[in-house]
Amino acid sequence: MTMDDVRTRVKSVIAHVLKADSALIADEANFIFDLGADSMQSLELVAAFEEEFGIEMDEDKALEVQTVNEAVEFISGYLRKKQ
Amino acid sequence: MVDHPHRHQQNMVKIFYPQSLAVIGTNKVKGTVPHDILVNILKANFQGVVYPVSPRENFIYSIKTYKYVVDIEDPVDLAILVFPSSVCHMALEQCGEKGIRAAIIISAGFKEVGESGLARERQLVEIAERYGISFIGPNCLGVINTDPGCNLNASFARQMPEAGAIGFLSQSGALCTAVLDYAQAKHIGFSKFISFGNKADINEIDLLYYLKDDPHTSVILIYLEEITDGPALIRIARQIIEESGKPILALKSGRTAEGASAAASHTGSLAGRDEICDAAFKQAGIIRCADIEEMFNNAIALTYQPLPRNNRIAIVTNAGGPGVLTTDAAIQQGLRLAKFSDATTALFRKSLPKTANIKNPVDVIGDARADRYNLALSSVLKDEDVDGALVILTPQSMTDIETIAREVCNVSSQYDKPIYASFMGEADVATGIDILQRNRIPHYILPESMCRAFAVAHRFQEHRGKHEPLAARFKVADSKVHRILSVAVEAGRSVLLEHEASQILRLYGLPVLKGGLARSAEEAAAHSDRLGYPAVLKVMSDAILHKFDIGGVRLGLEDREAVLHAYRQIMRMVKKNAPQAEVQGIWVTRMVKPGQEVILGVKRDRTFGPVVLFGLGGIYVEIFKDVSFRVAPLYRSDAGEMIREIRTYLILAGSRCQRPMDVNAIEECIQRLAQLSVEQELVRELDINPLIVHHRGCWVADAKILL
Repeated sequence: MTMDDVRTRVKSVIAHVLKADSALIADEANFIFDLGADSMQSLELVAAFEEEFGIEMDEDKALEVQTVNEAVEFISGYLRKKQ
Repeated sequence: MVDHPHRHQQNMVKIFYPQSLAVIGTNKVKGTVPHDILVNILKANFQGVVYPVSPRENFIYSIKTYKYVVDIEDPVDLAILVFPSSVCHMALEQCGEKGIRAAIIISAGFKEVGESGLARERQLVEIAERYGISFIGPNCLGVINTDPGCNLNASFARQMPEAGAIGFLSQSGALCTAVLDYAQAKHIGFSKFISFGNKADINEIDLLYYLKDDPHTSVILIYLEEITDGPALIRIARQIIEESGKPILALKSGRTAEGASAAASHTGSLAGRDEICDAAFKQAGIIRCADIEEMFNNAIALTYQPLPRNNRIAIVTNAGGPGVLTTDAAIQQGLRLAKFSDATTALFRKSLPKTANIKNPVDVIGDARADRYNLALSSVLKDEDVDGALVILTPQSMTDIETIAREVCNVSSQYDKPIYASFMGEADVATGIDILQRNRIPHYILPESMCRAFAVAHRFQEHRGKHEPLAARFKVADSKVHRILSVAVEAGRSVLLEHEASQILRLYGLPVLKGGLARSAEEAAAHSDRLGYPAVLKVMSDAILHKFDIGGVRLGLEDREAVLHAYRQIMRMVKKNAPQAEVQGIWVTRMVKPGQEVILGVKRDRTFGPVVLFGLGGIYVEIFKDVSFRVAPLYRSDAGEMIREIRTYLILAGSRCQRPMDVNAIEECIQRLAQLSVEQELVRELDINPLIVHHRGCWVADAKILL
């Protein structure tokens, strides 16, 4: 899976969880500051990413991820290990 | 003048009186801090414009929201940050870009959670300094200003308190909510209510400075867990009391004792952190309270009623027992029962029932109704020999509680003297108490608390009248002192040798006996011949801290032979008990004739800096712990007060036909030592134990200086 594919699917997950328009989600967008995620939604995002990509992430480290770019990077790392 | 960041002075006006504010990170989720703060601001009828900033919402409660604070078209005075800690720096950065110079950061997750949080907090401070922003918090409940011209409740407290004259500052947000609830039940109002949390930027000193000139605040209450800058706290407190006449009441947590066993000097082991804090508050004029109840008991007395001119009280009661209890409590608190004038006594004799007690405490007896209370209360307040009245009521079948309460309020409004009340009981007296509280009559369930509060008000009145400067500075050959200290530091020593300590104290004008350093028995004898007998010999070694314990001291040596023998004996004992210690010689002095032994000392406290100790000296000093402290530099009356404060002061002052000791000489020694403690920062701890005091003069018999 290319980084662009990961990015598209990450944005789609975010749009679903935060009820936002995925076309309006910028690569640099911060989940909290720009997209308005609260603490519960941050947890939901981690769970939704795991489900979307079929991976199991370290929750503490996953919660430190704050932006779309960081999420793409973080998830790609797991996907590489999986291969 | 108190050091004070200039930006805070200007910016704090915008924290307390903003014309527009933005709640950054708010949302629509009821029961969450970001939501409830916005609601509190709206409910309190804030007299300015509110801009909710929320990345996800378009509107909240019909108010248009903004995605970012920089999107707001108009200027914003105050930003209230309720975002999670991880993005607060982004919000604050935007506040800076927007030109906002005042902020309240409510969010938690900073210094209080450890290293990562501390890094986030430092980031906030860096941004604030870069843009010239002043902020309260983080990790706080928020700020309330009850001034009707502003009506700001920028907090997540459950309710907006009543308006009043008390300014409340608290490091703990949770305590704030408890205090608000407590105060609401007693109709206690506030001018400003400020939770300052981690005080990363604006701290208690800045806030005290602001409240000093706040016209709506007449009494300041503060809860502190740790003090940012001890000396600055003392200075600002004194400034507030002197310039504005506002009392400061403090609740300071952390009364646990510091491990004294590790201390290397008597002063080190006697001066625990809480004792020093107590002393510093006293010096500052801050009234330290043991708990919230005591704090508010005192606060209502100081806020609601005029200060008593003196301590002569009149007690008016409808029951004998409580009258006696109140009398006991009053005397214990240092109050005096007023002696009524002949006119007052004659009026009581004529107007009160035969069974009434017409002397103080005035017992208007059990069937007293409002008219009798009115007569008694008015008469005592009219009396020139009465400084204030304490009203006691016990609910009896014929007692018209509410009418009496109203009468007390009525009388109070007619006189410029304080009236406090204790309607004893709970259920039956509740409506009467409510009337008193609503009409600003300080009420106390227990007469003991009432007397304590009156005594506090009286002491504050006395203290307020004092405007004293720092103690005068003595001339000292500073360069010589530096040279001695430098030699020790360069040699890597942490303890000064006997002759070095003596020399420094002498340079500071303390009465130190002349001495001589001997490296042989013959040399010791020669010194004694010159200095006089009886003689004292002490081993000199930086490795021996407690000379007595290893047999390194010989006292009362009457002649040359005794000195020769003592020298050899000391050397033997040192070889036996401290074989590793390098001995620099034996210090020889004349022995001071017996007198009263006292201890003087210096210690450096990490909050307050140099602290001076005084107490009854000798070998029992750590058992009796009869000591007093002050933070240096001393004010003019501090040294005298330190001496008078100890329990055994009368031993010095002279009692039962004993001639008094030279207290003035001790006072001067304390002042000189305090000056040394301020000027010589290399001195970590210092003990003069004992200072032997005579009827005229005093002498340093032993001194220890640690670097």
